[in-house]
Amino acid sequence: MTYLFVFISVLGLLAALGTVLARNLVHAGLFLVAFFFTVACQFVLLEAEFLAAVQVLVYIGAVAILLMFAIMLTRNVQGDMTTTTSRTWLLPALVGGLGLFFVLMFGINDQVGLKGRMTWASASTRPEIPRAGEGKPVTPRSAAINDMGRMVGREMVTRFVVPFEVAGLLLTAALVGAVVVAYREGDDAESPRRGIQPTRLHGAVTVQATNGHADGSDLPSTASVTS
Amino acid sequence: MPPTAAFTINFRDFYVLAPEIVLALWGLVVLLYDVGWLRKLPNASRQQKLGWITLLGVFGALIAAIHALMVRFNLYGMQELFNPAWMDFDRPEPVIFWGTLAGDLFTETINLFLILMLLVAIRLSMAWSFTDSWGEYFALILWSTVGMMLLAAAEELLTLFLTLETMTICLYLCTSFEKNKRRSAEGGLKYFVYGSVSSALFLFGLSLLYGLTGTTELYAIKMVFTPETGDSHIGLAGNVSGMTALLLMLVGFGFKVAAVPFHQWAPDAYEGAPAPVTAWIATGSKVASFVALMKVLLLGLAPWSNHMRDVATPGWVGVVAALAAASMTFGNLAALAQRNLKRMLAYSSIAHAGYMLVGVAAAGYSSRHSESAGSVLYYLIIYGFTNLGAFAVAAWLARDKDSDDISDLNGLGFQYPGLAVCILLLMLSLIGMPPLAGFFGKLYMFMEALNEKNPEGRLTMLWLVGLGLLNSVVSAFYYVRVLKAMFLRPAEGTVVAPAGPAIALPIVVGTVVALGFGIYPAPLVDLMKSAAVPMLDVSGELIGSSLERAMWNRARRAPTGPPTDVKLELPASVAPQAGSTAPQAESTPPPLLPGTGKGQGAASKKGGGMGKGAGKGAGALKKKGQGKGQDASKDAPPSDQPKTDSPTKDAEKTEAPKKNESGSDDLKKAAPKADAAKP
Amino acid sequence: MSHDIPLNWFLYFAAASFSIGLIGVLVRRNAIAVLMAIEIMLNAANINFVAFWRYGETPPGASPLSGVMVAVFVITVAAAEVAVGIGLILLCYRRWHAADVDRYDSLSG
Repeated sequence: MTYLFVFISVLGLLAALGTVLARNLVHAGLFLVAFFFTVACQFVLLEAEFLAAVQVLVYIGAVAILLMFAIMLTRNVQGDMTTTTSRTWLLPALVGGLGLFFVLMFGINDQVGLKGRMTWASASTRPEIPRAGEGKPVTPRSAAINDMGRMVGREMVTRFVVPFEVAGLLLTAALVGAVVVAYREGDDAESPRRGIQPTRLHGAVTVQATNGHADGSDLPSTASVTS
Repeated sequence: MPPTAAFTINFRDFYVLAPEIVLALWGLVVLLYDVGWLRKLPNASRQQKLGWITLLGVFGALIAAIHALMVRFNLYGMQELFNPAWMDFDRPEPVIFWGTLAGDLFTETINLFLILMLLVAIRLSMAWSFTDSWGEYFALILWSTVGMMLLAAAEELLTLFLTLETMTICLYLCTSFEKNKRRSAEGGLKYFVYGSVSSALFLFGLSLLYGLTGTTELYAIKMVFTPETGDSHIGLAGNVSGMTALLLMLVGFGFKVAAVPFHQWAPDAYEGAPAPVTAWIATGSKVASFVALMKVLLLGLAPWSNHMRDVATPGWVGVVAALAAASMTFGNLAALAQRNLKRMLAYSSIAHAGYMLVGVAAAGYSSRHSESAGSVLYYLIIYGFTNLGAFAVAAWLARDKDSDDISDLNGLGFQYPGLAVCILLLMLSLIGMPPLAGFFGKLYMFMEALNEKNPEGRLTMLWLVGLGLLNSVVSAFYYVRVLKAMFLRPAEGTVVAPAGPAIALPIVVGTVVALGFGIYPAPLVDLMKSAAVPMLDVSGELIGSSLERAMWNRARRAPTGPPTDVKLELPASVAPQAGSTAPQAESTPPPLLPGTGKGQGAASKKGGGMGKGAGKGAGALKKKGQGKGQDASKDAPPSDQPKTDSPTKDAEKTEAPKKNESGSDDLKKAAPKADAAKP
Repeated sequence: MSHDIPLNWFLYFAAASFSIGLIGVLVRRNAIAVLMAIEIMLNAANINFVAFWRYGETPPGASPLSGVMVAVFVITVAAAEVAVGIGLILLCYRRWHAADVDRYDSLSG
C-alpha cells in the first residue's frame, strides 16, 4: 500500500510540475488532468471514495474540459501555442515556493499535538473504523466512511444547509456572470483591430499592427515586430 | 443503517436569515423580469426600471432587517405581536443552523448597515448607463450582498470560505461589466487572479488550522487553543505549522481587505471597475471582510493573539500591527502621487484598512476586547458611508466627463456649491477633522489602543497610534487636493451636468452620516460596542446550543446511550469546557452570558451594557496564565477530568426533554431564565 | 489494509503540490496557466482536509465529516471560479488578443 502511495504521489507531483512547466498549454492541460486523477487516487487511499468520484466527475469532467475549451478559444493569433515563463519572477517564485515548501515540511514534522492529540508526525495509523455489517454499533464516524454519500447528503440538508444554498447561489451567479462577461457583442468596441497597440513585453516592443485591412477582413493579421 | 440523529432545523433559523433570503430571491426576480419583460426596451429605461425594482427588493430586506432589530429590542411589543409557538422570539438563539451562522444582535446590526449601504450603491448604479446587462448586474450586486451578510454572520470556516468566495466572485464579475472599456476587463481579470490566488492560500491555511484543531467551528477552535482546557502546548510556541496556518490566513485576509503587501489588485480593480461597483467593493466588501477578519482573529484565534506569554512567539498581534503600519504608510504615500480620483481613493482606502488594522491589533492586545472591536466597527460603518459618497463623486465625473482625474473637478465648487460643501465635509471626515464622524472613529479606535495597561503592549500601541496620527496628517494633503481643485481652480472646458438624485444621494447620505454621528456619536458607538460583544463571544452560547443539542440528539436517538466514539472524543476539546459550565450554573449565580443579557425582554442599550460586562469577563479568557481569577468560567475546569464530568452531562441530557422540547440548548445558557420565561 | 500510510505522507504530498502551484502562479504569464496553477493549489488544500479528516478525531457535536464537506464545497467553488475566470480571460483576450497577464496595459499598475 505504501508503494502504491509513493507511486501515485510521484506521478502526481510530476504531473503538477508538468502543468506548471509545460510550454505548450494543451500539454499543461493534459498534465493537469493527470494531476486531478492522482488526487482522486489519493482520496481513494484516504477511504473517501465518494469524494474521489466527485473529483473525477467535476474536475476532470468539467473543469479540465472547460480549461481545454479556453485554451482552444484563446489560441494565440501568432500561431504559436507556446507560452513563456516570466524571467523576472522566476527567482522570487522559486524562493517563495521552495521556502513555503520547507516551512511546511518543517511545520508538519514539528507539529505539536494539542490537547493530548497525536502529533501529525506520529499519526502513522488512522483511527480504526468498524466496517459495515460487523455487528458493531454504527457511529456517525463509521457511517461517514462506510456510507459517505448518504452522510454527505444528510449533512448538506441539515448542518450545512446554508453553505449548500450559498453554493447554489454561487454557481448561479457564476453562470449568469460568465455568460454576460464572455458574451460577444456585435462590435468589440475597443478591440485592438481598430489601431496599433504597442505592448511592452519585457523590454522588447511587440507591435501588433492590426488595422491594415482596408477590406475589413475579419482575420486580424498580426505582424509581430520584435526589436 | 446509520444512526438517524435527530436532525432538526428550527424554523426560526430561516426567519433570522430573512434579509438574506429576500435579497437572494430578489436577485432571481430581477433577472427573470429583465429577461422576460424588458429585453425590448432601450437600455436606459431598462436600467431605470430594473433599478427601481431592485430597490424595491432591497427595501424589503431593509424592512426584514429592521424588524429583526425591533424584535430583538422588543420595540412596540414586537415579541408579543409576532410570536407563534415555534418562533420563540423571547429566547433568541445566538447561533443558528447548527452553529454555522450567528444570529445575534451583531449580525442584525451589520445586516442593517450593509443593506443601507446597498441601497445607496444601487441608487448610485442608476446614475448612468455603463453596461447593457442590467438584470445581471443588479442580480450580481444583490448576490454579492448576500455573500457579505452571511460572511459577517459565519461562525464556521466552511461557511466563511464559501460566503467569502460568493462575495468576491460576484464582485469580479461586476468589475468587468463595463464592456466598452478595456480597463474594466483588465481590472476584473487582475482582481480575479489576485483574489483567487489569495483564496487558495487562505484555504490552505484553513486546512492546516483544521488539522490542528479537528474542527471548523470558530468557537471550538478557540476552545482547543485555550490553555485552561488543555495542556501547556499553547499558541505558536514551537508550532511552525500553526504559524504557517496563521500567516497563510492573514495573507488571504490581507488580500481581501487590501492591506499592504497584498494590495496590488486594489488600485487596478478600483480604477477599472465602473464607479458604483468600485464604491461597493470599497465599502461593502471591505466591511464584510473586516468583520470576518475580526471574527477569525478575535474569536477563533484569540488564544494566539497574546504575545505576552512568550516573547519569542509573537502571535498574530505583531503581524497585524506590522501590516497596519505598512498599509497606513504606503497607502497614504502612494495616494499622494495619484492624479486619478478613483486610484487616489483606492490608495486611501488601503490606508484606512491600515487604521482599522491598528484597531484590530488593539483589540487583540487589550483586555477590553469588545470595546476595541466596537470602535473598529464604528470606524467601518463611518468609513463605508463616507466612502460611498466619495466614490459617488468619481461616478459623477465618469458619467459626465468620461474620465476621473482629480483635475476634472476644477471649478465644481463654484458651479454646485451645495454639493461641493457636502464633498468638503466628506473629505474632512475622511481626513479625520474634529467635528466629524471620521474623527471620532479614529479617536475611539486610537483611544482603545492606548488603553492597554501592559507596558510592553502599550509601547507598541503608542508607536502605532503615533504613526496613525502622522499618517492622518499626510492624508490631509491628498484629500485637500480634491478640495483645492473644487474650490480654488477655475473651471476649464466642459462643465459637469447637474448631479441628479442618483449621484447626490450617496454624497448627501455620506455627509449626513459624517455630520450626524460626528456631532452625536454616542448612539452608534454604543450600538457598535454592544454589537461587538456577541461577535467576539459566542462562548458558552455555542456550547449551549449547537454542540449540546447535537450531543443530546445523538444520545436520545441511539438507544444504547451516547455512541462510543463520542465518549472517546470527549476529552478532545469541548468536553472539559462543557462540563465546566454546568456545575457553576447550579452553584454560583450564572455568569451573565451575552445571550441572557440580550434576551432579557426590552434589552435596549442597557441590555447591551450588561452583555458587555459579561463579555468582558468571558472575553478575558485571553488573559490566561496571568492568574486573574476574575472569570468564573475559568475557575472550574483545571482539575476536571473528562470522566468526572460525563455523569453531569448525562444527567443534563435526561433532564433536557422534560424541560423543553424544542430548545434543549437553553438549559445551560439560562436555566433560571428559561423557567421564568416559560409560562 | 491501508493502515500503514502515515498521515505525514499525505501532508507532504499536499505541501509539495501546493508549493508547485504557487510557483506556477508566480512564474506563468498566461492567464489560463495561472488558473491551472490555482487549481493545483486548491486540490492540495483538499488533500489536506481529507487527510486530516481521516486521521483526526472529531470533537463531539461537530460534524463527523467536516473535512469531506469542505472538500466538496471547495470543488464547487473551484468549478465556479474556473467558469468565471475563463469568462474574464476570454473578455480580455478579445480586447488584447493575448492571454498573457502582463500584456494588459490599460491600467498603470
